[in-house]
Amino acid sequence: MSRITVENVTRRYGDVRAVDGVSLDVAHGDFLVLLGPSGCGKSTLLRMIAGLVPPSDGRVLVDGRDVTETPARDRDLAMVFQSYALYPHLTVARNIGFPLRTRRQRRAEISARVAEVADILDLGKLLDRRPRELSGGQRQRVALGRALVRDPGAFLMDEPLSNLDAQLRTATRTEITELHHRLGRTFVYVTHDQVEAMTMATSVAVLNHGRLEQVGTPTEVYDTPASAFVAGFLGSPPMNLLDAEVVARDGRLHAVAAGVDVPLGLGDPGQQGEPGKQGEPGEQVRRPAVLGIRPEHLSLRPAASDGAAPEATLRGTVRTIENLGSEEIAHCRVGAAEVAVRARRPAGFTVGEAVVLTVRPEHTHLFDRESGRRLVWRPDRDAPIPAARVPVAT
Amino acid sequence: MSGMFVEVAPPTLPVPIVAPAAVGDRGRTARRLARRLGRGVVPYLYLVPALGMLIVWTYRPLVETANYSFYSWNLSPTQPATPVGWDNYHRLFTLPELGGSVWRTLLMIIGLLPFTIVIPVVVGLLSREVRGRARSFYQALIFLPFLVAPVASAAVWQWLLSPRSGAVNRATGSSVNWFHERWPALIAITGITGWHVLGFAVVVVAAGLASINSDYAEAASVDGASRWQITRWLTLPLLSPTLVFLVLSTVLLFAPQWTFPLIDSLTQGGPVDATTNVYYLLWEYGIQSFDAGLASAAGVVFFIGFGLVAAVLLWISERVTIHDD
Ligand SMILES: Nc1ncnc2c1ncn2[C@@H]1O[C@H](COP(=O)(O)OP(=O)(O)OP(=O)(O)O)[C@@H](O)[C@H]1O
Ligand SMILES: [Mg+2]
Repeated sequence: MSRITVENVTRRYGDVRAVDGVSLDVAHGDFLVLLGPSGCGKSTLLRMIAGLVPPSDGRVLVDGRDVTETPARDRDLAMVFQSYALYPHLTVARNIGFPLRTRRQRRAEISARVAEVADILDLGKLLDRRPRELSGGQRQRVALGRALVRDPGAFLMDEPLSNLDAQLRTATRTEITELHHRLGRTFVYVTHDQVEAMTMATSVAVLNHGRLEQVGTPTEVYDTPASAFVAGFLGSPPMNLLDAEVVARDGRLHAVAAGVDVPLGLGDPGQQGEPGKQGEPGEQVRRPAVLGIRPEHLSLRPAASDGAAPEATLRGTVRTIENLGSEEIAHCRVGAAEVAVRARRPAGFTVGEAVVLTVRPEHTHLFDRESGRRLVWRPDRDAPIPAARVPVAT
Repeated sequence: MSGMFVEVAPPTLPVPIVAPAAVGDRGRTARRLARRLGRGVVPYLYLVPALGMLIVWTYRPLVETANYSFYSWNLSPTQPATPVGWDNYHRLFTLPELGGSVWRTLLMIIGLLPFTIVIPVVVGLLSREVRGRARSFYQALIFLPFLVAPVASAAVWQWLLSPRSGAVNRATGSSVNWFHERWPALIAITGITGWHVLGFAVVVVAAGLASINSDYAEAASVDGASRWQITRWLTLPLLSPTLVFLVLSTVLLFAPQWTFPLIDSLTQGGPVDATTNVYYLLWEYGIQSFDAGLASAAGVVFFIGFGLVAAVLLWISERVTIHDD
């Protein structure tokens, strides 16, 4: 069992900060997924944990012990490489047994342990083959076997499924999750695939340009993204992000933009302004923000009730429709922005038609325009409404 | 209830594709055949220049050599060549020089292997620790002797190894007369050739090491391997194709051929044949003794002999080397 702690770790390559001041704490038995787009520093961070790349700054701790200066071979971690890095001249059995051989275990012990691992991974028939005689999925399992064979404190995996086809990837995903449950070991897993992150992780760390954007459970990261980047990275299609302005109307807050008028369900109706001011909403309060709405939280309002609902929210035109089988995605133009709507088929969209979309207030997200951080509402009786909406870093 | 189930028909093309009508017309068939033949010939046309060069410069002389080996001729244009059957081969195998020269060639090969294998591997492994510009400088330094013309280096070494005033003897305090004693002469020729090819071998090994994917060493270090274990269990096996190439070069090229300019300018095969290897013997027969028949016979024998050696080495290397893919 190992707890892995990363304290303020930075890695510079010349002027580039591949990893920039990242702090993480991975508890015993956690499955942490490092998620982010290509080039965001996931591999670099993982390799610093493994001891293959020295950090320019900061510390790495395993079980509270500072291992920043400890060579990789003394860290008691196992790593699965994206390329698998199977030793091409050794048979499957010798590949799997390699970590035991370096520890000078006896031959009989090694082959017993290799047989055990081969059994778990269903590699028994392939033990005498060389890596080049294996399929991609089999190579992947051998790489996994080489990590499993010595019962390390933690497993580090760098995109281990990216070379597999879609079907095998789904199957192997389940296998790795099961393995995690059975072994109860700490896993740190790098991927740019959000499905892997959502399905496998106990916690997800989202990286962007070497910086940590958010750490949380898959649910937290998806439901309450801490930044516009996280919101725009997760989900397919990702969250719709629209430049909007927050205005107070009747003491309630609305996000307003061209074709958009969304009540946010915030504010206190008791603080309603004088009746005379009702006709000029937003005169008092304007705050630029980014409004976020997930495509699955938008729903089509029947055209008949259109006029009857003044608080109706997004008005636009359907441009294209994608049929996903069980669902469909309509891409609509709302004002100057593109908005995706995801709905169960048949959803009743027609290309070129004007639509009115609604969203429940609790399904709206607000982000700061400059920093991109999430904005949370902090009710404050005394202060006027706009001052209360300060960005709170989460 | 009236009605029935009707199967959904599998998709069909709305309009049947019309198969091209069979052409009975002879002329058209013949033309098509010609076109296909023409297309088949094109790749060989591309090969013609290269093949032509090979035939003119390599295979024709080879055939001529084989032909001359059955004649007696003294290379004089006025003297006709007279056919003598297998006489030249008989003479070649009864003369004592052949066995001796093969043996000395073997000694040169053994003497060169440290320069072409051992030192380059050690230097290559150590210089991996040197980074960036310093490393290029270091490698250039080692490669430099390779660029010196053999005759020039022969002159320099002759001076360095001169018995009384030479730097080597003065430094070691010995009085060896390098080029006039049997073993020292052989050692000197081998050593100078080794000094010459060392840089080349170092660069080849460095390239071989650089082509090994660094993932292996990283995976091994996470797997708990020490630096020495990584070298022994991964780096050297993965370097084996490079090492086989260097062994082949030593056997077929460095020891028999690249020694030639040094032998010719420093010892002329002496003293008492002590530095006469197979190629020098060949040259002696042909150019010094004007015995074209004997030299041709020796040439044919060495050609076949080296061909066999190369085949055996390649056969072994196929079994031993690891190809990373
Ligand atoms: N050895 C290196 N020298 C210079 N720059 C590097 C080096 N390794 C990584 N970088 C840079 O650091 C940044 C992060 O690289 P890293 O490999 O960690 O990305 P990643 O998140 O793993 O991307 P991917 O998903 O494509 O694997 C990139 O901009 C990359 O160019
Ligand atoms: Mg990577």
